Amino acid sequence: MSMSRATRYARYRQDDRLEISLFPFLSIFLCVMGVLSFINVLSSYSAPQKIELTAQLETGYKIAYQIFSLPDGIITLPPTKNLHKLQAVVDDADKAVIDVILKQREQLIEKLENHTGSIMNAAVEPDVDDILDALHDIRTLNEIALKANYLYEEFILFGIYPNGSQAYQKIRDVMTLTPDSVAISIGLEPLDSNWTLSLKKNGKPSK
Amino acid sequence: MKNLISLDSLTDIVSNSVGILIIFAVINLIHDDNKTYQLEIPLEHATDLSPAFFISKNDRILAMDTDTLFANAALQATSGGAASKRLFNLEYSGLLGQIDDEKGISFFARDTSEWPEFDELDKRNSGLRKSLDKLDPKKQFAYFFVYDNTEDGSSSGSGFEAFRKAREYLKRHAIKTGWQPVNSESPANICDTSFSRRCVYLPSYLGNGGGSTTSTKNGEKK
Repeated sequence: MSMSRATRYARYRQDDRLEISLFPFLSIFLCVMGVLSFINVLSSYSAPQKIELTAQLETGYKIAYQIFSLPDGIITLPPTKNLHKLQAVVDDADKAVIDVILKQREQLIEKLENHTGSIMNAAVEPDVDDILDALHDIRTLNEIALKANYLYEEFILFGIYPNGSQAYQKIRDVMTLTPDSVAISIGLEPLDSNWTLSLKKNGKPSK
Repeated sequence: MKNLISLDSLTDIVSNSVGILIIFAVINLIHDDNKTYQLEIPLEHATDLSPAFFISKNDRILAMDTDTLFANAALQATSGGAASKRLFNLEYSGLLGQIDDEKGISFFARDTSEWPEFDELDKRNSGLRKSLDKLDPKKQFAYFFVYDNTEDGSSSGSGFEAFRKAREYLKRHAIKTGWQPVNSESPANICDTSFSRRCVYLPSYLGNGGGSTTSTKNGEKK
């Protein structure tokens, strides 16, 4: 009984079959996955959370005049977005008043937008006259809106950064000097130093 | 050859792992792009409620028992220990006091090691939780003096996180809160308007006592 050539060939092939071991592949693969997961977990715990605050902030008809209080001073961010709408419903005299305020505010925002480097380095020492002017503008706008029976009220929102209370206290002290501040609502919120302000994307007033 | 080497398992594992990595990448991308902060916009309101004072520093919160503090301060004042704006020991959780014609009584918090940590708010029957639970929402609100100094490497004021946590806890219990930032140069002080117009302690809330606006990175609101 002699085996056929085909059977012999098959037996020969089976003995010397090429075997692929998946162990090195799985080992490397799991190692890479482990390292990636570790980096992911580590970065989520250790890296500071970056949050961008919007430039135009409102809640209902209340519009925030934002003042960010930092160790080096303040960054003032007046609202401009809804002033054009307010302008459309008031008489000519008030329209002119709003126009003056609007232009000043847009200049202020433009100055901030053109600031080179981080916007958080644009803080300046709070100036008493500037604060008094800002309070007067807010009061004027609120009174114009009230007169026109238009739902618009500006309030001051203080964002307090770490070590930023000095500038805040100074502004609150100045606010006691003027009757303009009596009817202005105040809000304040603690902010972390890695919560940065975004101007480029949101700060442009809609026209 | 086709029957001997099967690539099925290899292809399966590779495609699975690539798929998982893509999912991770997409999740990370979404997470980065739409990172939002629920910015509370609480506004100060005049109120008939009386303030219960707290100091928040170094991730700890101290409930101020004003009766005890004022009694101790009065004792120091009558004995001459508080003259000429001198700092005196209030014998109350490491607080030092100072009496000033403009600021009333100032409270300097130097040693906070005895104060309860804000994590205790998560523990039932903790002293801190009891002191907050004692507040009557119809008669009182919580007013926090929050230290804004930073510890090494921290991106937050030393009292900010504790204050946020306490505010959240109190909000759930319908108790209003107010706060002001303080530091070692301008410490917590309690006075009334006969001293200064700044001596006003108001709760902060929006409308009916709550509310917030979600500001996204893209300026949308939710």
